[in-house]
Amino acid sequence: MISGTGWRISSFWKFVKSAILTASFILPDYLITALALGLLFFACQPAEDTLIISEPDAFAGIIYPADNPTTRAGLALGRDLFFDPVLSADSTVSCGTCHRPELAFTDGMEKSIGINGLIGRRNAPGLTNVGYLYETLFWDGRADDLETQAMHPIAEANEMGGSWPFVISKLRRHADYWPRLQEAFGLNTREELSPDHVGKALAQFQRSLISGNSKYDRVEQGLETYNETEALGFAIFFDLADDPDGAFANLPTGECAHCHTPPHFTNQRFFNNGLDLANDLADFSDPGRGGVTDNPFERGLFRTPSLRNVVLTAPYMHDGRMDALEEVVEHYNSGGRYAENRSANVFPLGLDDRQKSGLLSFLKTLTDTSFVNKEDYRPRRLPGH
Amino acid sequence: MKACFYLLLPLLLFTTACEDDDDPVSTEAEISVAFRGEFGDEDLAIQSATYDYPTGEQLKVLLFQYYVSDLELLPADGGDPVQLSDIELVRWMSATEAAVSTKTFTVPTGDYIGVRFGLGVKPELNAQDPNNFPANGTLNENEFWNAAARYVFAKIEANADLEADGTFDTPLTYHMGNDALFTTLTFDQNFSIDGSNDPRLTIVADVLAALSDGTNTFNISNPDQQRVHGGNQAIAIDIWNRLANQFVLEVR
Repeated sequence: MISGTGWRISSFWKFVKSAILTASFILPDYLITALALGLLFFACQPAEDTLIISEPDAFAGIIYPADNPTTRAGLALGRDLFFDPVLSADSTVSCGTCHRPELAFTDGMEKSIGINGLIGRRNAPGLTNVGYLYETLFWDGRADDLETQAMHPIAEANEMGGSWPFVISKLRRHADYWPRLQEAFGLNTREELSPDHVGKALAQFQRSLISGNSKYDRVEQGLETYNETEALGFAIFFDLADDPDGAFANLPTGECAHCHTPPHFTNQRFFNNGLDLANDLADFSDPGRGGVTDNPFERGLFRTPSLRNVVLTAPYMHDGRMDALEEVVEHYNSGGRYAENRSANVFPLGLDDRQKSGLLSFLKTLTDTSFVNKEDYRPRRLPGH
Repeated sequence: MKACFYLLLPLLLFTTACEDDDDPVSTEAEISVAFRGEFGDEDLAIQSATYDYPTGEQLKVLLFQYYVSDLELLPADGGDPVQLSDIELVRWMSATEAAVSTKTFTVPTGDYIGVRFGLGVKPELNAQDPNNFPANGTLNENEFWNAAARYVFAKIEANADLEADGTFDTPLTYHMGNDALFTTLTFDQNFSIDGSNDPRLTIVADVLAALSDGTNTFNISNPDQQRVHGGNQAIAIDIWNRLANQFVLEVR
């Protein structure tokens, strides 16, 4: 409930000091000297293989977990595992099956199709800038971070349908992956391999999926300008009409940015956006966040999705019920359907056709073609090879 | 050994100088500062409680939050204030949250005559892009209003039943904040901190008190007063002033 400033106390120097003092009693002088110099040298070096991935200046930096820095070996491994169906029970479905790079890592399906044609529970979320989303993941927020997120689909019956013991068994015997897992995570024996290592590799790849070159970004940098329709949409999206003295004072407000907050166009929180009528909160067929917290008042709440590359991520909503972005705009313009926990920022907007068209034009400026076409984000080899 | 000593001496001095000293210090003690949310003197319950409004309507509160800048203790000897935190966001946004949350700070022992903080984001931080701060930091909680290049200092969101028909279908959203609204609040109250039986400080904020002071009640039935965002802060100033004036410091 409270967030505030804090600081992290490093214990490293205490360790150095105590190590030297202890060693001075038991080791010869030359060894103490070597130890001291060695520790000093070690302290001054970055982890040898840690990769520094460049990020747009406009973004607060990705928070890399201390126990899973991105490394060259880990990133390459994660990329290959992501697109390899080896992680599914029958080796037919990979992460990349439902998260296709050309669709901003969605799959174009209402609900994803898993092994044996089984239909998943919800619409596949996009992965654009997913490494910046440090709170929770999934539509219902059931995973705290990318490392734990990866644990779910592999074992989910309707997705990759496997079991972790089976997957780990396959990887321990795999001629290519086993030595690469050893290298990436310093494993000595096959028994040391656990699902955590697979999750870490997949997380490293997903943290590399950075998009910051849409028209929106370029306008923010002063490199481009919006055309008239896009500018209208920008004004509606960001409620510029709230300024009574501004140029857009007579426009309706779109109320979009309360939840779709830049730069990632999500506030990572949970809302009922008025999709379903629920005179009783028990009426929601999909409990959403309430299914995770087991709190009846959170039924029907879902995590705000990012709108980056939103044009590419149809169909929309947690269940993919809306085929086109026009439907989404129409939904919000209507104010949605009643439930007592519907977000207070969802109400009839009064946008006319021109204004709706402007809003759509602005949403299209969030598309980053360099992101979806980037070779580093595509399979390095054909799945199955 | 002597040569080794001279070799190691700079290193030991360096390590000693660089370390964070968290050894127990007799002149410091930990204190707890709690933030309690209320509605009409009852513990605030997001979404789950139905609250009566003075003019007959009913409310379900969805969100209550406010920024606190420069939370400080005021020493009795007139010395410099002891800063506990430069910026905090106090927020209730989920039915799963308790009405009280607590944070612990280490402060010098001694006598104090009060607590002071700024309600809102202090001007030197208010215009700064949140992306200049850590992604999980207090100023990166998605409360920066890009269109106006400033933070939203406080929010109250609720769904209201205006017609007494059992449906909470009128949204109320009050998003307040600009440099002119930033308000410094001082609570004069004597307390001592000596490391044993120290008082617990609780900062109490009441959503209803921000909307109604018993004499003047904000008219939530007026459609022009159901939404305050961005530029129409003139409507919000009524709520803001009540919000700023209703804080209570409990020292127990």
